[in-house]
Amino acid sequence: MRKGLALLAFLTIFAVLLTACGPKPTPTPEATEAPTEEVTEAPTEAPTEEATEEATEEVFKVGMVTDVGGIDDKSFNATSWQGMEMAAEELGVEVAYLESQQQTDYAVNISQFIDQGYDMIITVGFLLGEDTATFAQENPDVKFAIVDFAYDPPIPNVLGLTFATDEAAFLAGYLAAGMTQTGKVGTFGGIAIPPVTIFMVGFENGVKYYNEQHGTNVEVLGWSTETGEGLFVGNFESTDDGRRAGEDLIAEGADIIMPVAGPVGLGTAAAVQEHPGTMLIGVDTDWCISAEEYCPVVLTSVMKNMHIAVRDAIKMAVEGTFEGGTYVGTLSNGGVGIAPFHEFDDDVPDDLKAELEQIKQGIIDGTIDTGWDAYLASLNQ
Amino acid sequence: MSGVWERIGARAGISPGRARTYGFIFIGTALLILLLFARGTASDQTTVFVLNPGGESQALAVPDLRLPSLWTLYGIALVCAFLGGWQLARGFRQASLALGGVALLFILAFLVWAARDRSLNFTGLLSSALLRAVPIALAGLSGVLCERCAVINIAIEGMMLTGAFVAALMGSLAANVWNWPPLVAQTFGLVSAVLSGALLGLLLAVLAVRFKVDQIIAGTAINILATGITSFLSARILAEFQHLNNPGIFRPVPLPFLSRIPVIGPAFFEQNVLVYFLFLLVIAVHVMLFYTRWGLRTRAVGEHPRAADTLGVNVFKVRYVNVTLGGMVAGLAGAFLILGSVGRFDELMTAGKGFIGLAAMIFGKWMPFGAFGAALIFGFADALQTKLAILRVPIPSQFLLMAPYLVTMIVLAGVVGEAVPPAADGQPYEKQ
Repeated sequence: MRKGLALLAFLTIFAVLLTACGPKPTPTPEATEAPTEEVTEAPTEAPTEEATEEATEEVFKVGMVTDVGGIDDKSFNATSWQGMEMAAEELGVEVAYLESQQQTDYAVNISQFIDQGYDMIITVGFLLGEDTATFAQENPDVKFAIVDFAYDPPIPNVLGLTFATDEAAFLAGYLAAGMTQTGKVGTFGGIAIPPVTIFMVGFENGVKYYNEQHGTNVEVLGWSTETGEGLFVGNFESTDDGRRAGEDLIAEGADIIMPVAGPVGLGTAAAVQEHPGTMLIGVDTDWCISAEEYCPVVLTSVMKNMHIAVRDAIKMAVEGTFEGGTYVGTLSNGGVGIAPFHEFDDDVPDDLKAELEQIKQGIIDGTIDTGWDAYLASLNQ
Repeated sequence: MSGVWERIGARAGISPGRARTYGFIFIGTALLILLLFARGTASDQTTVFVLNPGGESQALAVPDLRLPSLWTLYGIALVCAFLGGWQLARGFRQASLALGGVALLFILAFLVWAARDRSLNFTGLLSSALLRAVPIALAGLSGVLCERCAVINIAIEGMMLTGAFVAALMGSLAANVWNWPPLVAQTFGLVSAVLSGALLGLLLAVLAVRFKVDQIIAGTAINILATGITSFLSARILAEFQHLNNPGIFRPVPLPFLSRIPVIGPAFFEQNVLVYFLFLLVIAVHVMLFYTRWGLRTRAVGEHPRAADTLGVNVFKVRYVNVTLGGMVAGLAGAFLILGSVGRFDELMTAGKGFIGLAAMIFGKWMPFGAFGAALIFGFADALQTKLAILRVPIPSQFLLMAPYLVTMIVLAGVVGEAVPPAADGQPYEKQ
């Protein structure tokens, strides 16, 4: 019995160490300018030891707390981390991350960075909003930036990094409506929260705008802005659910699908790959690059350039221009956009490309409305 | 009057009160169909059920089923009312079967209403239900194997996750590094995953049998261990070397003749080998549990280990073997997620399917076919909520996501009745 308990205790400790051990060293990014030197200098041990060893050095330390789904989710965790790496390279700051395995890890991970004396903490994801606010108010000296969340009223030491993803999704919807053969396009989300539904609203309204312009009747399966209801798999992890949702959409006639559920969408990609004639629209990053095995079926991606926003937030903090408030990434400042068509470049007609360019200008100068503000207002009523 | 109910109840082997309640439930269902569905349907609306699967298929093409929505609903309500009348007047010998039938009719009515003026791919719905059920059913079978010999395996989730990781890594190594032919490489990944499940099963058995650790705690520790190791290795290895996370997927293999049957064929007999393997496994486990010496010993150890021991059965050995086998099946469930579904590993991708498998085991009364049936019900409810969301049925998505579990509770309360676990479940055996 005692031996068993000892073995069990050992296993658990080992597991906990692996799951939530202190900030991990920077993995080598596949980017062209690999900051190999910085990488080796990055902390290789848990910050407990390093805090005493390097106490004399005044390095600006930035910690990132991920949402569930892992650092390599090909989605917002991965993109935000890319921004951290850019900051490490360009600004010489020290970066580290802690992965959240479940929602109860958020607070634990944030407090771990605070206890280690980190200067700035980046939290990734809407679901971390509450915990970030709590810790920011308790630790006014630490700077915070949070992806996908804005505080009203603003907290002086928190910068909310938000994205007008609806603008880019509107373009993707217009493109999908112009490219569909079946007259039906599909979308689904992970969980019905604003950073997810913003894609779906923009997408549907883009399709509707195409219908208005061309007198077509392309249908969107899986989301309705009018009722605010749609298809959600209920998580951001189960790629199998993503595949099933994709197959169900295809069975109902959709031939272009935009999954808004982080890595779950990669399961959808597997389904799309097995159904000739169907295409995928990636989200967050350019999936042709981040998930290159699926490039042959990726029509485009709705990009949310979180890496730029994270990098800029850190830069402001280092240079002393940091202020609490909200940053909004838009089409006009390059914070959001749609990816190149890669292998479908020849298939997209030139007229459609020209129209997309016009619509982009229209959204930037405000003559075309993506419908997100109206939807948000209807939610808050 | 009460004499009638006793006679009716006795015929079906249920209490007189229950027999009467069933009758009223059937008639109530008929009224519910009229009130909820028929009232909101106009007489000129039609419901189209598409019977050909989306994409290419071997099956004989069949025309879409076009039903006048309102008249179909009236027809279904009439059948329900008739069944209710029959139950009240004469009584069904198989009352719970009739209850199940009425539940199916209600779902059909719901579909007719939901898809009025639209079309719904019925074959796709069945296929989706089956594929969603596969990992849950495998997890449930793993639970049956372990709990029939009285070891609670709460670590199925962790074993699945490990199996998935190993299948992705080893399959990719074989396919992309050693350049084995795809089918061989995938089979290698599959076997490796099953072996990794066996190792974790053995670990659980050592903890539970040799060291008599609380089985829930031991299982939870294995789950945490599996989550930690796979996330860590995935971030370190798979994220950096993408070719190590691309083992390929088993292609669907249409079964001759069977796959040509319309509707059923594409849904059940045009799948990949892992799905067929599940069918075989359910039958095999059932036969082994109830018709072999091994099965008798397993059940004896699960119900009364002391008695089994007295008769010369090696309780420890039986538990070691069964829990290891259970681990192998859980590893297979993980491998299905990779090699039978998405073709790449992502952190935490099992997302609680192992635990749902345990629920399927309990609802299936610790029987292989029961667990499979329960998994099918879960899968169907899940597939149905997806269809409803696509059809824009005005029901909140949160409620739709609840639907599978709601169905479970109704089925559990209405049809299954009391579920009794093996008597010695969860208790370590101490030799005297």
